Amino acid sequence: MANEVVDHGRRRFLTSATAVVGGVGIVSAAVPFIKSWEPSARAKAAGAPVTQSLKKIESGQQLIVAWRSLPVFIVNRTPEQLAALPKQDPRLVDPKSDGSSSEQQPKYAQNETRSIKPEWLVMVGICTHLGCVPNYVGEMKPEPFDPNWQGGYYCPCHHSRYDMAGRVYRGVPAPKNMQIPPYHFVDDTTVQIGVGPKEGA
Amino acid sequence: MTKPTLLTMSRLLMKRLLPAIVLAVGLLVAGQPAARAEGEGQLMASGANVRDQASLQRGARLFFNYCVGCHSLKYMRYSRIADDLGLTEQQVMHDLNFTGAKFQEPVISHMPPEDATKWFGKAPPDLSLEVSAKGADWVYTYLNTFYLDPKSPIGWNNTTLPNAAMPFPLWELQGEQVAVTKPGSDGVEKLDLAHPGKLTPAQYQQATRDLVNFLAYVSEPAAMQRHRYGVWVLLFLALFTMLAYLLKKEYWKDVH
Amino acid sequence: MANVFARIGDWVNERTPGLAPMYRKHMTEYYAPKNFNLWYYFGSLAMLVLVNQIVTGIFLTMNYDPSASGAFDSVQYIMRDVEWGWLIRYMHTTGASLFFVVVFLHMFRGIMYGSFKKPRELVWLLGMLIFLALMAEAFMGYVLPWGNMSFWGAKVIVSLFGTVPKIGPALQEWIMGDFLPADATLNRFFALHVIALPIVLLLLVVLHLAALHEVGSNNPDGVEIKKGPKGNRWDALKPADGIPFHPYYTVKDLVGVGFFLLIAAFIIFFAPTFGGWFLEHDNSIAANNLVTPAQIKPVWYFTAFYAIVRMVPSAFGTAVWGVLGMFGSIALLFALPWIDVGPVKSIRYRGTGYKVALTIFVIAFFCLMALGMDLTDEYFPRIFGAGIDITLWDNVFGRIMTVAYFGFFVFLWLYTHLGWEKTKPVPDRVTTHD
Repeated sequence: MANEVVDHGRRRFLTSATAVVGGVGIVSAAVPFIKSWEPSARAKAAGAPVTQSLKKIESGQQLIVAWRSLPVFIVNRTPEQLAALPKQDPRLVDPKSDGSSSEQQPKYAQNETRSIKPEWLVMVGICTHLGCVPNYVGEMKPEPFDPNWQGGYYCPCHHSRYDMAGRVYRGVPAPKNMQIPPYHFVDDTTVQIGVGPKEGA
Repeated sequence: MTKPTLLTMSRLLMKRLLPAIVLAVGLLVAGQPAARAEGEGQLMASGANVRDQASLQRGARLFFNYCVGCHSLKYMRYSRIADDLGLTEQQVMHDLNFTGAKFQEPVISHMPPEDATKWFGKAPPDLSLEVSAKGADWVYTYLNTFYLDPKSPIGWNNTTLPNAAMPFPLWELQGEQVAVTKPGSDGVEKLDLAHPGKLTPAQYQQATRDLVNFLAYVSEPAAMQRHRYGVWVLLFLALFTMLAYLLKKEYWKDVH
Repeated sequence: MANVFARIGDWVNERTPGLAPMYRKHMTEYYAPKNFNLWYYFGSLAMLVLVNQIVTGIFLTMNYDPSASGAFDSVQYIMRDVEWGWLIRYMHTTGASLFFVVVFLHMFRGIMYGSFKKPRELVWLLGMLIFLALMAEAFMGYVLPWGNMSFWGAKVIVSLFGTVPKIGPALQEWIMGDFLPADATLNRFFALHVIALPIVLLLLVVLHLAALHEVGSNNPDGVEIKKGPKGNRWDALKPADGIPFHPYYTVKDLVGVGFFLLIAAFIIFFAPTFGGWFLEHDNSIAANNLVTPAQIKPVWYFTAFYAIVRMVPSAFGTAVWGVLGMFGSIALLFALPWIDVGPVKSIRYRGTGYKVALTIFVIAFFCLMALGMDLTDEYFPRIFGAGIDITLWDNVFGRIMTVAYFGFFVFLWLYTHLGWEKTKPVPDRVTTHD
């Protein structure tokens, strides 16, 4: 018994072959488990476009709606707030949204007001630093965090500040302007978030 | 008996015991009762086959024409039906979805439950899991055993589910069956087609087969993926087992 | 590269209390008898299924909602909306049933080859505790989908505790936290199923293995290899009939794993309900506290024990006897090392009386199982004609089988304590055929 010479080559080959095939099996078996973390059909359905009437939002007011579980700020900006926007440019990281923030809005919202219609701001209300929801501080009056405050957003987590177009100020932790989602106006008083305006329209 | 024979016998017994247990379990499974539900008589074979896509598409059309008025499929999304049945969003939204629901939303009947309770005595059940619960054959048989019954408040009765609350929704397809009772009793012996409907009996059976097939799919949409991946998993495991066996043989040369 | 791994290994070993010795003790220098047969696969397979249950279970909890209003929907959510959720759930449900298949066979192996006998009594007791914990775990897991079978299964099983004299009804309400299985019941069963019992199970499994490796594995000949001659090709001081667990039994168990996974995958992908035995039809209906399913019976792996409850009539105004019978049927298994004190371990060398008794015991177990599954209701009329009184036949048949089940233990006690058994000579060394 057991006196024959061990064929080490065959043994090593079979060990590696079994290990490789077994390893492939374990990795393949892991795939369904990893994939199960992707947004489910329900989450995707909930991520469908959201339609919102603008009739009840008065000048200077903000409404928050959920789209893909994200808070979307809809603001009816006042003429004063709009007038203050260009004046902020020197104090901003990327005033034209064409630098570090070039991917933060669709092409049709890459302008001074970062919107389709100047007065209507539609923006994903997530701080670009670590994902908190910034507070809307619309009044243009000195604030403890900024004596020269011209209205905008103030993040309670790490004190990042944004102007009334969601553009980030210099010298705060947040690196980019807040994100503008795809949206379009169904009619004058209805906006749909999640779908951009049709090409050429 | 000499010792060696006894030894051999007991070893034989051991070698036979495991197969015997496997056989017993096999018999248990083979003899498993079909999904049983309330009702009498033998069930007809539905012949449902969720791999028959054309049948599923016809069944879906029937469901959305004749059933969705009262019955929801609350776990089934229109978008999933499109994906699995090889239909486009356009086809599903135009040909099947008459409730105005969004493409991603589940199939919810528009009938208010309070009204339904008033009309039928109880709310029509959701049919998402009907085939899982009762079996395809039961649903198929049920749809083929409605008959006119003047004694019933709704005018219809069913031999598979006596005193069913549902009036027969497919009567214009099948026509009107009447019961032939056993002499001297109320027991139904067989059903006769008194007035033919739009379909011949063979066509009607095919239609209900399609409808049951669709409901079988709705009960477990994952069945399609199961069958697709299962074969590959088994082939892979066979390869692994073979390699493991060769490896074992190789190492055990040391022992034997 | 290999050098780097070796150095990392050394680095860890110099800083831990004996990981390397532990590996040697339980793997490369654990000498197992070389004559294991088919029956010895089920221990490692039970381990495999345990790992499967834990991994799939963790992923199921990520999408399951343990509330009476949300549980049923969340299971359908897993089956339809979660990517690959159906596979994860079927792996868990199939795993649950196969766990019992494997464990029953593992236990039968232990009985057949006398693996519970001295010096392995503690291994057996720990194994029986694992079996108990597993039954509790399975029962609570069965309740979680909150289908109508889950609900009524919970109701009936909890009612077993209601038969305890005096405190029964209060005990029942305490277990449920309500007057019927409800939100509170589901919440606590969920907590026990996903946290408490798995911890207990893992601990018991570790102890079961530690106890086994202390005394060494038994084998189909029931020969103590440690008492035999010393010296094998790996170590001059170790048993001559022992071989290192690793690599010999690891590669052998790998073959068992392959075959087992083939069977499991076939069920998961092509017959996940297993004809209504692994996943019952009536559990596709949401829990309804007003309608009991037409066929209310436990899931298959409990049916043999549950049938005993039905077969023992109530007496002296209480139904507690059937429940005692059921628990007794398990308690007797615990006591097996002290009931069967025959000196010969393996069935190969035991008396004919033992072989006959064990065969009858297995038949009785399967018959009780069939009875608990209500199969007899289906088959008796086919065999004996449609006109028979099924209840009467069920009771007669079931009581005979119950007596046979308990009779096995009584017989064994008499057979071994009174020295009736005529054994055959046990060889000094293992017989190496396979």
